[in-house]
Amino acid sequence: MAVLNFTLSEEGATVFHDALACMFKFSDDVCMEARQDKLTLTALNISKSAYICFTFAANRFFSRYVFEGNAQYRDRFFCQLTIRALLSIFRTRQGGELPQSKDSSIDKCDVVIDDGPGKKSRLIARVICRNGITASHSLAFEVKPPTHAKFIKDEAQNRWTISSRTLRQLMDHFGPGIELLDINTDNDASLVNFTCFTETMQQRRGGEDDALRKPLHTNIAVEMDEFDVITVKDKLHIIISVKDFRAILQHAQITGGELTTFYSDPGRPMKLSYGGDGVLCEFILMTVGEKDASALKHKNPRQNAAKSAKQPLDAASHRASSVPQAAPPKPNPTQQKLAPRPRQSQFEIRPQPMPPPPPPAPPATADSDSLFVPQADEDDQWEPLNDDDDEEVDQIDRLQWNSTGEPVMIKSSHFHT
Amino acid sequence: MRFRTELKNIRTFSKLIAALNSLEKIAWVRLDDEHVRITVIPDTGSQVWASLSVGLIFDNYTLQSADVNNTINLELPLGPLQRALKSAANSNHANLRLTKRDGVPMLSMTIHTMTKDDAPDGRSGGGGSGGLSKSRQHHNGSTSTPDADDPFGDVFEQESLELAMRREHEKVITQDIPVRVLNPATVETIMQPVIREPDVHIQLPPLLQLKAISDRFTKLALTAATGRASNNPKLELSANMFGSLRLRLVTDTLDVTSVWNGLENPELDPSQLAMPVEEHPSTVFKQAGADKWATVRVDGKDWSRVLSVGRLDGRVIACFCDDHALILYVYVPHQDDSNAEDVVTYYVSSFSS
Repeated sequence: MAVLNFTLSEEGATVFHDALACMFKFSDDVCMEARQDKLTLTALNISKSAYICFTFAANRFFSRYVFEGNAQYRDRFFCQLTIRALLSIFRTRQGGELPQSKDSSIDKCDVVIDDGPGKKSRLIARVICRNGITASHSLAFEVKPPTHAKFIKDEAQNRWTISSRTLRQLMDHFGPGIELLDINTDNDASLVNFTCFTETMQQRRGGEDDALRKPLHTNIAVEMDEFDVITVKDKLHIIISVKDFRAILQHAQITGGELTTFYSDPGRPMKLSYGGDGVLCEFILMTVGEKDASALKHKNPRQNAAKSAKQPLDAASHRASSVPQAAPPKPNPTQQKLAPRPRQSQFEIRPQPMPPPPPPAPPATADSDSLFVPQADEDDQWEPLNDDDDEEVDQIDRLQWNSTGEPVMIKSSHFHT
Repeated sequence: MRFRTELKNIRTFSKLIAALNSLEKIAWVRLDDEHVRITVIPDTGSQVWASLSVGLIFDNYTLQSADVNNTINLELPLGPLQRALKSAANSNHANLRLTKRDGVPMLSMTIHTMTKDDAPDGRSGGGGSGGLSKSRQHHNGSTSTPDADDPFGDVFEQESLELAMRREHEKVITQDIPVRVLNPATVETIMQPVIREPDVHIQLPPLLQLKAISDRFTKLALTAATGRASNNPKLELSANMFGSLRLRLVTDTLDVTSVWNGLENPELDPSQLAMPVEEHPSTVFKQAGADKWATVRVDGKDWSRVLSVGRLDGRVIACFCDDHALILYVYVPHQDDSNAEDVVTYYVSSFSS
C-alpha cells in the first residue's frame, strides 16, 4: 500500500505549480510533509532568512487524498524533492484556442508516494491529458524531516491586511536595482510608507559621477484607510528584502486575496500570509535589525543591513524531536543530494549595480525576415539595435563637431582612400 | 535656487527621455524662464540638443536662481528620470521640484496615482478564490441594518459597494532622482555645433520604416563581416533635392540599396537665410539635377539609436552637408497649440567616405 496517494484536478495542478514556482524563487528544494488532513510544502532559502510554507487542505484542495502511512510513518510522511523536477510535471499545458491543442491540457494528475523497507522510494506522478496522453514521471526523493521556522504570534503586535493586488501594483513603481523595503507608519498623517532604497554604491571610479549613479529612491504613501485591518506602532520602521517581497506578491496576486502581515520589532521575523480555496500560504521573513536600521540613516550602512538581513530564522524546536532516532532509513546513496548550491534565480530583480543594465534584446523588427514592419505602436521597436559589444568606435575617419562650422578630421595613420 | 513645476504631456516627455537615454545615460539640463534645454553629448556617437518651451511639458513653473539670466544647470541621469516618468504616466497629477535629501540634491517627483482593483488578471487561484473575499472581515460594520422584510435588503451588496468606494484612495508616490547642480562657468564652454548651410534638406520617411530597414542593413553587415571588417558597420545615406533618399550598405561581399522617392524638400524661408536663396547650396544642388546627391556615412548602431527618436511621432527634416555632416531636426508638436512646435536637434555622428 502506498504511503500517500492523491489526485489533483486541472485547477489543482495549476495551483500546485504556481506554489512551486513561487518557492523556486527562494529555494531549489522543497520539503513535502503529508498528514491525514493536510499536505504541506515548505522551503527555506539558502541564507535562512526566508521560510515558505504552503498548506493544502486534504478535503478541500484535492479531488482525492488518501494518507495511509505505514509502520514507519504512522502520523506523517516527509521527503525532500527538487522543485525544478516538480515544476516540469505540473507545468500548465498549452490550452490554446485551437480545438486540437486544447486537449493537451491536464485533465487530472495522480500522485503516489511509496516508501518503506524493501520498497523503492519514489514519487510517481501520472499526468492525464485531455487528448488521451498519459505521462508518468518517477522522481527519487530524499527522506529528510522538514525544518520549520518559528514564529511567535503573540509577540507580533503589529499587523495589517490589504488587497494583494493593490500592493502588487504599487511595487511596479519601484525601479530596478533596489534592495531593501522599509515599511513605516506615520499615525499623525494616517499613512503607511513603503520606501525602497539601496545604499550608496561602492565607489568604483571614485568620480563625482557616482552621485548620479544611485538608483531611484522611491516612497509610496498609502492611506491607512486603504487597509482592511491595521494596528501598527507609530513610526515603526521594518525593513525586508525587496526581492523576497516581490516574489511573494507575484504569487499573492494570482490568488487575489487579502495579504496579512504580523511583525514585532526590527530584527525579529515577520509573517505574511494569504489564502485561496483550501490553500494557506505563509511566509516568514527575517527583518533587518534595529541597530542596522538606525545605521541606515548614516553613511554606509550597507554591510550592516545586508548582514542582518541574512540573520537566520530560528528553527522550530520540534525539528528533529518528532523523528524517532533510528527511524529515518538510510537514504540510498544514489539519492543523496549534492550540497545545496546557490540557486539560479528565475527573475533577477537586482541588476548589476554598475554598469547600467544591458540593453534589452534586439527588437523584433530586426529579427523578422521581412523588411516590412508591423504598425503596432510597440515601444520596443524604437529600441536601438543591440549594442552588446563594446563601443569600440574605430576612430579612423570620424568627423568631429566643433563650433566653427568646418569639419575636423581625426588624424589617423590607417586612413584609406 | 528654486525649481518647482507641475508636469504635463508626460507621455511626450517620457518618449523624449527614452530616445535620449538610448544615446547617453547622463544629460545636461538647462532651465530658464522660457526654455528647458536637454543636451546629451556622448563620448562617441551623435549628440542631441533638445530645446523645449517650458509650456510643452511643464505647468505652473517656478524658477529662481542667483544667476543673472535666471538659469539652473543640472546634470541628470536619464534612466531614473525615465523610470520616474513611467510611474507618473497614468497619474492624476505629478510635480517636480529641486530639493535636497540628506544634503544631496535631488529632483523629487511627487505623483498622485490610483491603483486599479480590477478583475483578476489571469486565472483565479485554487478551486476558486471567491470564498476568500466573501469571508473578508467586515470590520466597519453595517450602519443600517436592513429590514428583514425588505426584499431589496442585501447586506453583501451594500458591503461590497462600500468596499469598492474605499479603494478609490490616491496613493502618493515620491521618486527622487539624484542630480548635480552645475556651476554656469563649467557649462558655458559647451557650445552647440555650428554647421554651414546644408546642400540638401529633405523630410524623412516614417522613422519606424527607416529604422527597421537600417537595422536590417546593419545586421546584414555584421553577419557578412569578415575578419578585417569592424563590428561597427557604416551605412551610406544620400539625398537629393528631388525628393529621394537612399540608404546603402557596401561590404566586401554585398552591396544593398534602399531608395525612397517622392519625399518632400521643404521650401526655405528667405527671411531666415544669411544669403539670397539663389546662392544657397541647396539651390546649387537642385540646379545640378536629380543625380546630384549629398552623401554622408553613419555608424549603423549609432544611427539606430538616433532613429529611436521616431517614438515622438514628430516630423523629421534631415539636412545633409555633402561628405561632411548630417543634422536631423525633429519637430515636436504641442498638444494644446497646433501652431507651436519645439525642435530636437540631432547632430549625427558621421564619417568620411
